[in-house]
Amino acid sequence: MRILVRLLSTVLGLAVAAAGALLALEVAWWWWRPAEAPLVVPWPQWRDTLAGIAWDSPGVRITAAVVGVAGLLLLLAAVTARRHDVAFTDPATEVTVTTSPRSLARVVGAHVREQDDVVSASVTATARKVRVRAVSRMETEHGLRPKLAGSVSALLEDLPLTRQPKVSVVVDSPRDRR
Amino acid sequence: MTKSFSAKALARSYRTERTVTFTTGLLAVLLGAAVLVVGLGWLGAYRAQRPVLDPMAVDWIRHQQPTLVRIVAIVAGVALLVSGLWWCARSLRPERHPDIELDRERGHRLVVSSSAITGAVRADTEAIDGVTKAKVRAVGSRRHPALRLHVWLREGSDPRQVWARIDDDVLGRARAALGVTVLPTAIRLELGSGKATRVR
Repeated sequence: MRILVRLLSTVLGLAVAAAGALLALEVAWWWWRPAEAPLVVPWPQWRDTLAGIAWDSPGVRITAAVVGVAGLLLLLAAVTARRHDVAFTDPATEVTVTTSPRSLARVVGAHVREQDDVVSASVTATARKVRVRAVSRMETEHGLRPKLAGSVSALLEDLPLTRQPKVSVVVDSPRDRR
Repeated sequence: MTKSFSAKALARSYRTERTVTFTTGLLAVLLGAAVLVVGLGWLGAYRAQRPVLDPMAVDWIRHQQPTLVRIVAIVAGVALLVSGLWWCARSLRPERHPDIELDRERGHRLVVSSSAITGAVRADTEAIDGVTKAKVRAVGSRRHPALRLHVWLREGSDPRQVWARIDDDVLGRARAALGVTVLPTAIRLELGSGKATRVR
């Protein structure tokens, strides 16, 4: 999303610059040679059209709705364009260390797959929460979940994270379905 | 609380881009909502049936000083043009990688190019046991330069040990070479990137 915001920002800047240039140009031209106006933008036609349609016409309402929705999309893009880094404690002054949620998930996933009775596992991680989904053949969810949760928590405590994420574990086991 | 220079060096700042995109979006939402409110007749059924370019508003503008209106319009247009171009150029500009100035005195200027320092730091970092790959960049401004290290660790290596080595050996050497006591550094670790090598 971050590259999208940079792109949007560029396009919006260009649009504002173009609108400003046209406004200044048209007004100056109209001031200098009123008889030969308009120069580029057919604004007298636009003026007549706008004078002919009412606020409650469908075209105006649809345009307003489209502008509103476009604005909401811009808001959404701006809000979601933040970094999701996982922070470590600073080892020294003016040294800041972070990692990506993906690499945290990779470490937890490798650790969980090494455990006994785990066939496969998928992990998603953020700075606040680590979700583990493990598949086991031999163990029930009841038996395996506390073990996995404990060992993942111990692993995370070994890492010098500024905040310890909550750990949630789900075990998928055929023995639970019998 | 102001961010430290090392925290700022973690990634390129998107604050301006996000702010202008957010503001534009907010303006568009407010504009659309206002037009809908008028068009749906919530400000009175009579208001909703008036033309969009209202003769009352046109008359009001006609009664103003014509010169003043034109000057205001032209100034507004030029201001929009300049700010739009600045905004566009700012978004497109690549991130700066400043050289590091060791001595600012006139006649004694001494500058270490950013590629020289980053190349040295990268070689030192990659020599550490457990590091598979490193990327180093000088970021920030000339007055407040900082280093950004992107370090890939082998699976099973202890991040504490690695960053102690980075702080002692790599950054310590860089600080000593540059003759500074503090060198703001942002480190991005990628954990478990390569398979651990096993002895068979």
